[in-house]
Amino acid sequence: MGQLNLKETKSVSYERAEVKKGYTDFSLRVNLTTTDIFINPIEAAVKEKFIGGKGYDLWMMWNAVSGDTRWDSPENAICISSGPLGGTPGYPGGGKSIVTAISPATGIPIDSNVGGYFGPYKKFAGFDVIQIDGKAEQDTVILIDGIENKIKVFSASDLPKDSYEMSAALTHHFDEDKPVNVSVVTAGPGAEKTYFGCLNFSWWDSGRKMVRYKQAGRGGIGTVFADKRVKAIVARFGSVSMKTNHPADLEALKKVTKAHAKEIATLDPKQNRMSVVGTTHLVPIMNDHDCLPVHNFKFGSHPESHVIGEEVFQYIFDKGFDGCWKGCTVACAHGVKDFSPFTGPYRGTKVFVDGPEYETVAGCGSSLGIFDAQTILEINFYCDAYGMDTISVGTSIAFVMECFENNLVTLEHTGGMDLSFGSRYNTLELIHQMARGEGFGAIVGKGIRRMKTIFARDFGADPAFMQDIGMESKGLEFSEYITKESLAQQGGYGLALKGPQHDEAWLIFLDMVHNFMPTFEDKAEALHWFPMFRTWFGLCGLCKLPWNDIVPEDNKDTDEPAKVAKHVGWYADFFSAVTGRKVGPDDLITMSEAVYNFQRVFNLKMGYGTREHDTIPYRSMGPVTAEEYRSRADRYDTQLTEKYNLDIADMDTDAKVAALRKIREEQYELLKDAVYLRRGWTPDGIPTVETIKRLGIDYPEVLEVLKKNGVE
Amino acid sequence: MIEVDEKKMQWSEKMTIASILEQMEGARFCSVVRLNGRLVSSPKFSQTQVPDKSILQLLPLVAGG
Repeated sequence: MGQLNLKETKSVSYERAEVKKGYTDFSLRVNLTTTDIFINPIEAAVKEKFIGGKGYDLWMMWNAVSGDTRWDSPENAICISSGPLGGTPGYPGGGKSIVTAISPATGIPIDSNVGGYFGPYKKFAGFDVIQIDGKAEQDTVILIDGIENKIKVFSASDLPKDSYEMSAALTHHFDEDKPVNVSVVTAGPGAEKTYFGCLNFSWWDSGRKMVRYKQAGRGGIGTVFADKRVKAIVARFGSVSMKTNHPADLEALKKVTKAHAKEIATLDPKQNRMSVVGTTHLVPIMNDHDCLPVHNFKFGSHPESHVIGEEVFQYIFDKGFDGCWKGCTVACAHGVKDFSPFTGPYRGTKVFVDGPEYETVAGCGSSLGIFDAQTILEINFYCDAYGMDTISVGTSIAFVMECFENNLVTLEHTGGMDLSFGSRYNTLELIHQMARGEGFGAIVGKGIRRMKTIFARDFGADPAFMQDIGMESKGLEFSEYITKESLAQQGGYGLALKGPQHDEAWLIFLDMVHNFMPTFEDKAEALHWFPMFRTWFGLCGLCKLPWNDIVPEDNKDTDEPAKVAKHVGWYADFFSAVTGRKVGPDDLITMSEAVYNFQRVFNLKMGYGTREHDTIPYRSMGPVTAEEYRSRADRYDTQLTEKYNLDIADMDTDAKVAALRKIREEQYELLKDAVYLRRGWTPDGIPTVETIKRLGIDYPEVLEVLKKNGVE
Repeated sequence: MIEVDEKKMQWSEKMTIASILEQMEGARFCSVVRLNGRLVSSPKFSQTQVPDKSILQLLPLVAGG
């Protein structure tokens, strides 16, 4: 490992706050402009209402930014918090961090839930939440050292350029003897040059004796990080046990941890086998249900999908423990060793690829018409090393490919690259260009919303067609599920606060396959409960996979199997055991509801957050083109005749496309009405004063934002 | 004889995944099974024949990513 050039510019010793019942009750703020460091207590009222994790992040951000703040404004704040339950070794999924910032893609708060050891280490070092704001004049590394109780700021030069090498170098630099004590957050060159930069959160893989990574992918927080000239944030802490959180009831914590961990270990091998295949089992399942994005979400299945799913990755993934938190029995963070890229700066060398997960396979594989595990692995590797979100990269390139095949973008625009679906080499070349900020890749790196403007303005492309096929909402690219036959999941994407990411609600099967929610009211109820419960994981520092991806054997016999009541009960027990605050399952929903509505008002503060911003492209609702309609003609014809009682005998395909579109767009608007009503919002999608008061977030500045938008 | 969720079941010719699930209680929400290690989804249940000595596992509700 070469000598790193780090020059200490600030060092502050502090008295480390003891963690009590999952909380330190202190925040850390580093202002990069001044290098001032602030350690502040967190008020009890804030703790009571915002819980931790994303709640703390949003509260800190709310106080840091104004409605005029843009993603590259100095006051934009990157906040990272783990939550009161985060850092519980052995509890499945018990070590997550939640990161937030004002997004360069959307202009509103973005949140990303990520594994790795950083969040827990940062908390155990004394801080429930950290806030990074301002802008550094030079490349900067921040160290939060919970062993020596020091915060240090370094100016940095000659650091390795990519995220992988930088994290490895800094891990060894800050604790050569015990690299397991270090977790590093880094961006990469792609984050500097695109609007969808991600953050890599590291952990030390003791079995393989190497640094591993998980990504806070969505919404360009890595881009904000790079804009502030932060090269890395490092957390250092010593050994961790179940006692480190100083839980209120250690025996109760041990009991619930053992029960949940045992169930995962027993049932995962019989169910989704995530400890073997990660989330790649979803590839064949989505394909068979016509929900796998193929060719920019145009189609939902492909005969070659079997070469990019679990059927292949179960043999390619390296064997060994792959938990992104200590003792997690889901252990789904798989990777591939000795992979040799055939393009780019790592060409011909052997690297370890962390991934791929389902989203990367679908976004950077099937949606691009690439049915080749090797190419997907190479895209995965370079996106991580460059610090770019694989979902936005994949969905953006898929949009470009469809534009290319429709002559909206030509060889002249792409610098001679054929970007037809399935172009493997040119996809990789485009990614290298994005990371360098060069050529056509520099345009693609701006994301779909900005591309639509550029293509219309500079290339004369049809704006209406691009609006239909560009898979973005609120400025964020869609994650990787076809929603055409699930109105509820159209809402799951379109009504998600930060943009179309499935972590708020994944209702496709409940709606499309099982018809659990036949009415608008049923769908609205689901689009209330599921987003609220899923939000709770982000408040507490947890992963949602152990909740409903591995379920009790008798779950199917319960009243509402989709909610997995037994596990919800365990989570209430978990929360009670750590924090000492006795709660039941319904209390978890109420906790989330306050933060959820606060985030909606935050969107409003930033100039968004109303009905018009919950618009989704028609590609996510139904067939845009005649070709698309004809690919599922039987389904659509049957719906038009039997469900909607239309006489289609004299209709050509274009007329049928138009008729179906009118119905589906009307249904989406009716869904909005029903969901807004259920959530206690106005018809324009704004929380009412009554709702805000009921949830106890009727702060003067919140009411002021509502008043400015005509709600009082 | 086949094995369904670790329970023995008499095998018969032309047995499909769909016909097996019809005989079972609590299989209403089953949309994916693992047949001899291979995932099969509900659109293919009625056309997928189950060979003798097969091992079938019913997967829980698909919950997404």
